[in-house]
Amino acid sequence: MAERVTVTLTLNGERRTFEVPPGRRLLDLLRDDGGLTGTKEGCGAGECGACTVLLDGAPVTSCLVLAASAHGHEVVTVEGLQSAGRLHPFQEALVKHGGVQCGFCTPGIAVTGVALLARREADPSEQARLLSGNLCRCTGYTKVIEALQDAFAEGGHAKS
Amino acid sequence: MLTQRPDSVPIAGGTDLMVQLRDGRKRAATLVDLDRLGLAGVRETNGGIEIGAATPMDRIAADPRIRRLHPALAQAAAQIGAWPIQCRATLGGNLANASPAADTAPALLVAGASLTLVSSAGTKQVPIDEFFLAPGRSALGPGELILSIVLPSSSREPDLRAFERFVKVGPRREQIISMVSFAGRALVAGDGTFSEVRLAFGSVAPTPVRARRTERLVTGRHPDAELRREATRVLQDDISPIDDVRAPAGYRRIACAVLLARFLEEAARG
Repeated sequence: MAERVTVTLTLNGERRTFEVPPGRRLLDLLRDDGGLTGTKEGCGAGECGACTVLLDGAPVTSCLVLAASAHGHEVVTVEGLQSAGRLHPFQEALVKHGGVQCGFCTPGIAVTGVALLARREADPSEQARLLSGNLCRCTGYTKVIEALQDAFAEGGHAKS
Repeated sequence: MLTQRPDSVPIAGGTDLMVQLRDGRKRAATLVDLDRLGLAGVRETNGGIEIGAATPMDRIAADPRIRRLHPALAQAAAQIGAWPIQCRATLGGNLANASPAADTAPALLVAGASLTLVSSAGTKQVPIDEFFLAPGRSALGPGELILSIVLPSSSREPDLRAFERFVKVGPRREQIISMVSFAGRALVAGDGTFSEVRLAFGSVAPTPVRARRTERLVTGRHPDAELRREATRVLQDDISPIDDVRAPAGYRRIACAVLLARFLEEAARG
């Protein structure tokens, strides 16, 4: 099928236009067309959270979003969390607390964590519930939650 | 568009459909994105609460009116998939797929919800009890869409207390398709007598079901230990679970009995 659709979206603050096949997933647009390989594909079925990006500020698994559905919307990937060359406070905290091991789940966790901070969710059990869609198979979640609370205490929610 | 192209499929959040398409369980020559129809939002009407079909679970779980008046629905929405799914999955989509395991269905059954369906012929109201026909099959006709879900306001005597709960059972808490799901709503008098009871289960019949025999048994009575035992026996005729990849039928029957007994006890105690 040679058919193409035009997708114009705000990607990490920049207005971008792509011509893609109609069935293309947002994940593939980001990685293959946009060259933003920070976002990972894990399960491809919305279960592991590795491909989480922000769509109009809300975390979504980009493997289940059609690229065409993002037309006219705002997408932020892990590459867009930094500002002026500095990591987001939650990313800094992940490094400081050792909340990163192999790194495959990290972009998704960073994105979900930043959304969680933006929501000003301070209740640890609710934080754990909201992070439960981002699976980590090596370092676990204790250090991630510690990093989150650290970023929260540092006022990371104000910077996201 | 949907009427003219019978091989086209409407898509909203895509959290279920995209997986079905990927696995080849469903085919679509054309996907019609409902995003721009503006069907998301919760509003109060004179008859209750109207939820737009494209409202994502995250908004339903957080809505103060739904949390107050229909806590089982808010609890179900907060337990579907995980947060990135809840930000995308819509209430209309959860129903349109007509899965026996749709977690919002038991909550909507006990709420006495109805669906507003729209097609080129116009709109109509369908009670949720009549919407699910078989696994994957609903009352939606070709080219027909769910416009909204209407939750009626329940008037009750001031001396009755409302108790409502949603519980899902699976191998872990998040990211699972329910082996059994349950929603219960009871109006309870001061002495623990049930003046009205609605019970609904998911994943234990070809469609989400009300447990009407059990409801009739316990209505007007105080659920002491003996009545609870009898209720769990009567419940077995309200459900018809099967063995599948997620759980054997026998496990589902026991789980339903436990959830029911627990609900009756907690509702009476308050």
